[in-house]
Amino acid sequence: MNVPEVFLRKGLTKTFEKFMHRPQTTQQKGPYNATVESNILRSGKFGRLTLRLEGTAAQVFRVAKPGQFAQFDVSNLRIPPAELIPDELVNSAKRNVILRRPLSLAGISDIADAEAVLLDILYCIVGPGSLRLSTAEKGDRISLIGPLGRGFFVPAGKKLALLVAGGMGAPPLQHLAGYLREKHKNIEVLAFAGAKTITDLPYFDIDISKVSDKPDFSIREFSRYAVKSLPATDDGSAGFKGFVTECMRKWLDANKIKPSDAIIYACGPELMLKAAADLATDYGIDCQVSLEQNMACGTGLCQSCAVKCCCPNGEKIYKLCCKDGPVFDSREVVWE
Amino acid sequence: MKTDLSVKFSKLTLQNPVFVASGTCGYVDELSDFIDINALGGFITKSITPLPRPGNDTPRTVETDAGMLNAIGLANIGCERFIAEKLPLMQNFKTPFFVNIAGRTIEDYICVAERLADKNQIAGLELNISCPNVKAGGITFGTDPAAVSQITKAVRKAAGNKILIVKLTPNVTDISITARAAVENGADALSLVNTFTAMAVDIETRKPVLANRTGGLSGPAIKPIAIYMVNKVYNEVARPAAIPILGGGGICNAGDALEFIMAGASAVFVGTANFLCPTAATGIIAGIEKWLISHGISEISELIGCLK
Repeated sequence: MNVPEVFLRKGLTKTFEKFMHRPQTTQQKGPYNATVESNILRSGKFGRLTLRLEGTAAQVFRVAKPGQFAQFDVSNLRIPPAELIPDELVNSAKRNVILRRPLSLAGISDIADAEAVLLDILYCIVGPGSLRLSTAEKGDRISLIGPLGRGFFVPAGKKLALLVAGGMGAPPLQHLAGYLREKHKNIEVLAFAGAKTITDLPYFDIDISKVSDKPDFSIREFSRYAVKSLPATDDGSAGFKGFVTECMRKWLDANKIKPSDAIIYACGPELMLKAAADLATDYGIDCQVSLEQNMACGTGLCQSCAVKCCCPNGEKIYKLCCKDGPVFDSREVVWE
Repeated sequence: MKTDLSVKFSKLTLQNPVFVASGTCGYVDELSDFIDINALGGFITKSITPLPRPGNDTPRTVETDAGMLNAIGLANIGCERFIAEKLPLMQNFKTPFFVNIAGRTIEDYICVAERLADKNQIAGLELNISCPNVKAGGITFGTDPAAVSQITKAVRKAAGNKILIVKLTPNVTDISITARAAVENGADALSLVNTFTAMAVDIETRKPVLANRTGGLSGPAIKPIAIYMVNKVYNEVARPAAIPILGGGGICNAGDALEFIMAGASAVFVGTANFLCPTAATGIIAGIEKWLISHGISEISELIGCLK
């Protein structure tokens, strides 16, 4: 078999090996009951759900890794009144929802003086499941399973982490920004935040007046961790005009960095992830991508979420997004 | 009062009647993060074929009203890796394991059955002649009574003294005909139903949602049809032949399981519900016990086929 060229670059295979052997979480994964603390909607499309977890759930989620996710049972939540159902969901809104919905963790914080944690989840209303999630109110109970999957991995010796968030790919990277700031203080972090247009930037706390074409503190979701961000919109309505990966390419060209010092962490639409993977190959930078796939169980049982991967020996296999991922090394994914 | 959940199933006595269904519980210990595998009445592995199969392209599943479609395509590690890596793990459990076997040709089925016939880690085989998601084999055997006879007879011969369960497809006009073909050719038990062939369409792209175009419908949506079929096969084939039925299709709670048992199933399988909640099967066992106690019934076996 032909060994793929991306694996031949000197030194990179070693970090790939370490990445492949990063640990799985073996803790109890529930199901747990969470209590809704708050659920804020923005522009009728994005939601930020904060859940309170106690007891064992608090213990296991406190140490969840950025990039991990949980499966949420939304079947018992309300359907909004007819006039609040978006046109594109009129046909599916009342469907009897049975499967849990996988959502990345956007952040976990301790509650002072309590054996409890707050779990932040960001979602976009796209179907009958997220529509029900949008109706959750303070005090509602939601069952969840997790933390699931294998998250982002921080190889030794890295000095610069470049986060690339496309649209709703932002949540796990917000979690990662906080994690890096807390556990890897010596790593400089910069976030590239892309979307089609300004209203599609899924941030709840963005100061548009501060947005420029240089890294700035305009996005509070990153700046709260002292992480600067560079927004990019396809139509130029905020920050860089063009794809977020082009924005990063421009930044890399302007800032001479040592490729082996840096690592790219990306989450977003598949086309963006492929562009990030290509860019990583061009510049010789390690890159990890968080993928999205249709899931039924999220626990490795159903085999729905197959991801075509290429082994270092050239063999093509299917891995599972839920168990082997959702974070993959960009070189192992077969981009189609 | 002591409640007895045990049921007779061919030559076994199971501690309770609840199985986890093939394709919804992994190979051996995947559910161990959530439940005690030893608490189950029985376990049926993912389908095993002679050679590894990568499975279908994605999307492989889609949620539909009160159910889901799947077209995984029998993705599995193949018989030899299964024997080397998975069978040894079964020694850690006392639950009876059944290996679901599948293939494209009769020879494929015989090959896997022969390789497993002398393995003492397993109690038996479940013959998958009802998978709707592969181009050859599977359902093409299961819908033709002559083929069901031929394949059951051949695998019976290859399987030594292992219990042979034949899993029937509901995609036939009269399920009793294929049930009879299996029983007359050496099936020790029947399991029914597998999924119903179905399709979901994306109206924006005007394409089927699944990469395989069609898939198998499972979940609560199929439960009433599955119960009807279990009752029909119980009355027309299984009871006269004294062959146990492993019944299922959309079971999500203890009440669902009891419906199947009253309709004639000696044991039940929990499938899609494992995806909704990985503790579903043990929850159902607890729920059955609670129901028996509250109704003053000391043995669950009294309920099998008790339909008035």
